[in-house]
Amino acid sequence: MANPAKIFETIGRRTVAGLDEMGYAAAIFFEAIYWTLTGWRYRQPVRITATFAAMMQFGVAALPIATLLAATIGLMLAIQSLYSLGLFGAEHYAYIGIALSVVREFSPMIMGILIAGRSGSAIAAKLATMSINQEVDALQVMGINPVRFLVSPVLIALVLMMPCLAMWANLVSILAAGLYVSAELNQSFGAYLNDTIEVLKTGDVWHGLGKATLFGIIIALVGVVNGSMVKGGAEGVGKVTTRSVVISITLIVVADMIFAYMTTQ
Amino acid sequence: MTNQALTAEAVNQANRPSAEEIAARRKVIEVDHLDWSFGPRQVLFDINLDVREGEIMVIMGGSGSGKTTLLRHLVGLMPPLPGKIKLLGKDMGALSRMQLLDLKRRIGVAFQFGALFSSMSVSENVKLPLRELTDLEERTMDIMANMKLEVCNLSGFGHLMPSDLSGGMMKRASIARAIVMDPKLIFLDEPSSGLDPVVSSALDDLILKLRDAMDISVVVVSHDVESAYKIADRITILDKGEILISDRVEAVRNSTNERVQNLLHRRSEQAEIDPTEYLRRLAGD
Repeated sequence: MANPAKIFETIGRRTVAGLDEMGYAAAIFFEAIYWTLTGWRYRQPVRITATFAAMMQFGVAALPIATLLAATIGLMLAIQSLYSLGLFGAEHYAYIGIALSVVREFSPMIMGILIAGRSGSAIAAKLATMSINQEVDALQVMGINPVRFLVSPVLIALVLMMPCLAMWANLVSILAAGLYVSAELNQSFGAYLNDTIEVLKTGDVWHGLGKATLFGIIIALVGVVNGSMVKGGAEGVGKVTTRSVVISITLIVVADMIFAYMTTQ
Repeated sequence: MTNQALTAEAVNQANRPSAEEIAARRKVIEVDHLDWSFGPRQVLFDINLDVREGEIMVIMGGSGSGKTTLLRHLVGLMPPLPGKIKLLGKDMGALSRMQLLDLKRRIGVAFQFGALFSSMSVSENVKLPLRELTDLEERTMDIMANMKLEVCNLSGFGHLMPSDLSGGMMKRASIARAIVMDPKLIFLDEPSSGLDPVVSSALDDLILKLRDAMDISVVVVSHDVESAYKIADRITILDKGEILISDRVEAVRNSTNERVQNLLHRRSEQAEIDPTEYLRRLAGD
């Protein structure tokens, strides 16, 4: 039988470790912002080329898969909306549910999950490998701040690219849903778009983009923190990569719920 | 020891500055009462050490003797507390973060496994400190990087990726990166580990060449006795976190300290146990 004292001890230890990690992530976040804003004063600016390279890797290169996912989500929502609203004979109002759920919920969350799996894991694996190969130590002894060199470009890139991807996903999902809905209801595509634009408010779009930005910060920090906490060799890299993806996705879902609650009260 | 190594050692011995000459030079490293523990396990005990301008100091010791921990303290990867470390006259514990970054620009470090950035070519690796810490033009950076690669016998290999290099080339590339900012002090971590004797000897020659050509102080962490005899002006031997001896090569060689001789002659301490005494201990008498 499990010893209750041991259980409490384990819970306590994990809580402390979790708080420690959160503190570390917060310290890295503020340090990355500090270097972004003041690096030029110390002749160590955040490199624009490195930031653009990260934007290409995390954003532009993800466009094909992001488009496919967004279109699928749009179609799925359209099918489900027509089916469920059809039970009440209200399928002509499907555009309301599709527009609001895509813009406020699905686009940022699906893009967050996609980028957590695609880029968060890459960030963690890169940092973990660099830590093991003493490349991070090499930066430090050269007088190059590792947060400025490695973290700031990644953070800026994700903060800028996540809203762009979410916006792109909004367009693709709504268009894909529109094609299905207009075909099913024998309605013109233009009328569907017109109804959608009517129902959407600027605040709804900002709500989704705000979430996407928050998810970008979460993905960057979780990847960086896990990558820099690697222990062991190749096996350690694998572990932190997996852990990074799992934690990112969990935090994205939880943050999404909190964000939705706080902005609708 | 090979004849070639003996000759090279003799040549360096003849060129070695005298004890008086060294003592008259400025200290570039001063370690004062440094202790360090990992949790409850103390790994460094009251380390006091100095390195003079233009001197090659080899820090030796067996595995777990604390030499890598001491190196990490010297290069600023671990805080010098409790104790004090002065590098190029600056107390590292009293410097702000920015001052510490500035100080680090004036030292070079070559790690045991190179620590070259795998995503960059050799040339890009060597240029990295110039690119990140100076405002030099690309062409000037190219010239400087090529010069350092040439010094390290790597001219023509700049376009290769680190994964394409042999162990010896990797170490030389790492040294080229360490010297690209023309530092006054460089640290080399186990430069000869994992290399065959010929490549290792060539690396020793490179270290001597760098000291003579660039007038820099060199701290080498190594467990290679032959290499230490060949390149060192002074040798410091660490054992179980303590400095056993820190003196000129001849003095270390002729030391009567049993632990020093064990290390120099690669004798394990267990071999020194009297077999009869060992059997008696096993029997519990």
